[in-house]
Amino acid sequence: MITETDILHTGPKPYANPYLAGVLLGLVLLASFVILGAGLGASGGIARIGASLSMCVSAPHTLGSEYFGKWGANPLNYYLVFMFIGAFVGALLSALSANRVRIQVERGAASPVSRRLWYALAGGVIVGFASRLAQGCTSGQALSGGALLLTGSLVFLVCLFAGGFATAWFVRRQWHD
Amino acid sequence: MINTLYGLDLLGSSRALFLALLIGFAFGFALERAGFSSSRRLAGVFYFTDMAVVKVMFSALITAMLGLSYMVGLGWMRLDQVFLMPTIYGAQAVGGLLFGVGFVMGAWCPGTAVAGLAAGRIDALVFLLGAIGGSILFNELFLVIRSLYTAGDQGVQMIYTTVGMSRNWFILAFTLVAVAAFWLSEWAEKLRTGCAPYLGSPFLRAFSLALVTLAVGLFVLTPAATRASAKPADTALATAVDEKSLMEIVEKAQDHIEPEELADRLMAGKPNLVVVDVRPAAEFNAFHIRGALNVPLAQLAEVLQPYMNKGLIVLYSNGMTHPAQARDSLQRQGFGNVYMLTDGLQGFRDRCLKPVSLRPEPLTTVNAVRVNAWRAFFAAPAVTGKVGLAAVPLNAAMPRVVETDWLAARLGTPGLKVIDLRPQPEYNAAHIPGSLSLNIESFRGNIGGVPSMLLPPVMLAAQFSLLGLRQSDTVVLVSGDKLHDPALAGMAFARLGHMDYAVMNGGYAKWAEEGRGANAALPAVTESTFPVKKNADDFTVDFRTVAAILGAPGAVIIDVRPADFYTGKKSDEARAGHIPGAINRAFTEDVITSSNKVVTFKPTDTLAAAYRQVIPSTNTEIIVHCRTGHQASQTFFVLKRLLGYPNVRWYDAGWTEWAARSELPIVNETPDSIKGK
Repeated sequence: MITETDILHTGPKPYANPYLAGVLLGLVLLASFVILGAGLGASGGIARIGASLSMCVSAPHTLGSEYFGKWGANPLNYYLVFMFIGAFVGALLSALSANRVRIQVERGAASPVSRRLWYALAGGVIVGFASRLAQGCTSGQALSGGALLLTGSLVFLVCLFAGGFATAWFVRRQWHD
Repeated sequence: MINTLYGLDLLGSSRALFLALLIGFAFGFALERAGFSSSRRLAGVFYFTDMAVVKVMFSALITAMLGLSYMVGLGWMRLDQVFLMPTIYGAQAVGGLLFGVGFVMGAWCPGTAVAGLAAGRIDALVFLLGAIGGSILFNELFLVIRSLYTAGDQGVQMIYTTVGMSRNWFILAFTLVAVAAFWLSEWAEKLRTGCAPYLGSPFLRAFSLALVTLAVGLFVLTPAATRASAKPADTALATAVDEKSLMEIVEKAQDHIEPEELADRLMAGKPNLVVVDVRPAAEFNAFHIRGALNVPLAQLAEVLQPYMNKGLIVLYSNGMTHPAQARDSLQRQGFGNVYMLTDGLQGFRDRCLKPVSLRPEPLTTVNAVRVNAWRAFFAAPAVTGKVGLAAVPLNAAMPRVVETDWLAARLGTPGLKVIDLRPQPEYNAAHIPGSLSLNIESFRGNIGGVPSMLLPPVMLAAQFSLLGLRQSDTVVLVSGDKLHDPALAGMAFARLGHMDYAVMNGGYAKWAEEGRGANAALPAVTESTFPVKKNADDFTVDFRTVAAILGAPGAVIIDVRPADFYTGKKSDEARAGHIPGAINRAFTEDVITSSNKVVTFKPTDTLAAAYRQVIPSTNTEIIVHCRTGHQASQTFFVLKRLLGYPNVRWYDAGWTEWAARSELPIVNETPDSIKGK
């Protein structure tokens, strides 16, 4: 016989109170400021993976290029790369403990998988590019720089929402049920 | 006071990498807890169906902002211990807009996609692959968009300065905006989905109130903290005061600093504290407060100019008349930060250095401990030249970089030669006793049409002979405020196979700052015959060697010029830009320049960590160059002698020659519009 307790144990647990989760995230950011002297970052790790792939294809080209070149021959030897790896492990532990790991393409029920994946790919390319241009992403600029009250970071934050809201209507179909 | 790894310049150390891994772990955990492992949830913010992004992000931002402000307000840490990103309006506005477009399309951002990947989302994996591609695309297109990358660069800019508010008021306003955003988000969710469990809930009320209260609390905290640490160093005395206010200051004795306070500040190693002894040099040499500078009254204003209204200047003499007159004169000249030592040197001796047992009145235990600590610090035998000549021998395994203490303890030892590389007027005024003056440019000349080349062995040996140097000598090279001067002199010694030389860290500026002995006498020199070694130089290469390794796997060419010359934005040579494949690490990144112009090498660990990022392995073939070989000699010294890389070579002719030889390839993609001339 299936009891209500069993259902609770097999289904994913609900997400945390968003405000308290935010406070937790804020305290992690504060710890990063106090210990490392730098905020959180995710796109830096991604870009350095890109630089290391670029090194595999052509080391002289990469080292001679203006942007990746300054990261040297070992672009992965950088604190943000380690933070990136740590974030994956931390999220995995959280998702496993809350029974939220699902191999799936998240999308609207009426939307084909291919559309969602094409959007994700294009969005990724744009975000990867824009993070380099702005020297950070939602973590490094908007959140960390915002908490430091840096003008440029808050400009980035405002523009991020402006760009998002302006585009939302055009890409809404991926979520149609 | 907390020192961060960034503040210590150790962000590249393995400790920092490990701590970043742990912080990353907590970061990922918090993101997943918040529900940011779901793209649908993230996208919801743009359709007002799920406002979690706003709630989590602003809760986190406000928490960290308030937390950091309290840390700073309580005096536990300074904001300069945190890496502050520059504001670049063009790049951040365009980048933000593009990012928003990508965010709503992909429904992930870099951090949340990592959480999504951990939760098994295939769309997160695809997004991350796209983001890696986007980063590579950025690198490939960098030359085209470089002007946008730096468009509107303001340097570090705080928002409250930009909008003209005080920090505390801005924080309060920002907190109120965030709280309003929380309530609006709940309200929007209720309208769109009919469900908003937190709208008007006791939790949200209490949470909102707590944030606002903490923001208001900063007003109570900050002025108190400022008062506690401001006296007297930062007391803002008016820069130009009239005689009346001067007299008021005198009347209230605000121009004094008590001996006990000075002693504590000196022992604590407080930065920006300049103690000046205005007595005659003979009295100074007999005894002075540790760390004091000896400056004649007539030169006070000139010597102290760099410290005007920066930190704290304390004058002392035997009594108080001369310092008082000098202090008032300096104040009239615009110095708002000059104090005199109450009761002068005599008072300092009586109140701080007199042994507890000799005091007429008994001391409390606490004060007795303080006095003993002061005595241990200030009354210890002064380390001056000639002391312990035989006791501190020159050892065979001499450090490559020596400190002032090292030299002071050995000064006068037979076989120790000190070479002062500062300009002649500075040398003439005062130098380390017995040091030889040398103009570094006398080691260079035009060779085969290329200017500023290190002279051949025969010419260097002739100069060494005139300086009276011998093969058995230990040479200490002392500069003013440029460590690349002794490094270049070191190239001359290395060319003649004389490796028994060291660079004095901090140069003469540090020696003088520490109040160590100096005089203006010229040393007695007996001409020697320095042997000409022709084959000792195996480290200087010409353009053919450099051209031959272009694109060779594993070899690293390091261009140590400032970044603008490397990129070609600035140029004073035949062509602008850099050698293809060369990487840029400016020589200035290897040193620390203190506020009073004392230049020292960064800690070896820091340098080693930094170069590990640039150089693949210990045995990598490395060529360093700059424009004329001067700056590159410093990087050569760091790599070869401090860090022990075995295969470092020096392209002396440098960019001067490379740029002028039009057949050699260069890289310069600076758009014509911003090319320097």
